[in-house]
Amino acid sequence: MKLQVGQEIPELVKHPTTRQLVQYAGAQGDFYEIHYDQPYAKSVGLPGVILHGLLKAAFLGQLVTDWLGDRGTLKTFEVSYRGVDMPGNPYRCRGRVTRVDGGDVELEVWGEDESGKRTTVGTATVYMRS
Amino acid sequence: MITTAEAIERLKTRIGVDGPEVTAPVEAGHVRRFVEAIGDPNPRWTKEAPPTFLVALAPVSLHLADAEEYGQGWLNGGNRFEHFAPVMIGDQVTSKGRVVDVYDKAGSSGNMLFIIFETDYTNQRGELVARVRGTAIRR
Repeated sequence: MKLQVGQEIPELVKHPTTRQLVQYAGAQGDFYEIHYDQPYAKSVGLPGVILHGLLKAAFLGQLVTDWLGDRGTLKTFEVSYRGVDMPGNPYRCRGRVTRVDGGDVELEVWGEDESGKRTTVGTATVYMRS
Repeated sequence: MITTAEAIERLKTRIGVDGPEVTAPVEAGHVRRFVEAIGDPNPRWTKEAPPTFLVALAPVSLHLADAEEYGQGWLNGGNRFEHFAPVMIGDQVTSKGRVVDVYDKAGSSGNMLFIIFETDYTNQRGELVARVRGTAIRR
């Protein structure tokens, strides 16, 4: 299958819950209260508990590794968190090929909230075996 | 509460200074709990750690009491993962973090303090397996 610049990769839709945030807090060892304590989150000016940025990064990592399979390796992966996301809302992860140079492939990746706003944006570079 | 300028002044003395080295095993049970938490059932992660797992092995940001005197909370601005070699279950990984930059920016709700952290991860054979960068924001 020949990759084309502009081609989208299969999307990944996640359904994060408060329970998942607690699970992730434990697995990562990040016990910052804004991810599970509603009154605390509100006291620091947030609308409520929010997803860990690194959980959204993990979702986008899965987007790329699911698409890549065993055809290559993920070399670099960079994300910026542009907005907060709340549990209970679907999180849509998408990506698009932006450059193909032999086996080196660059992707634009992003995560969208329900309104289509890109709350996480980033890039990934992969090396694909021929 | 201290001013941004004071916080930056104090934090700048930390730039380039390595934090303590931490060595930890990549345990099957830990990787399993991590992939369950992120909801990634890929069978590949029964042998290998998924791309962002290393942040669970050692914190990517150093605890900086000076920064916590500024503003009311932390936000994560972004992360960058560079992978040089796979991280396999059973590996012993040593991490070493440092502050690479400190600066402030005017935001919509006042000034924000940005701290850029970088952590290097080395396996038991001395190979640099990954470098992770993080932007921590105090506001």
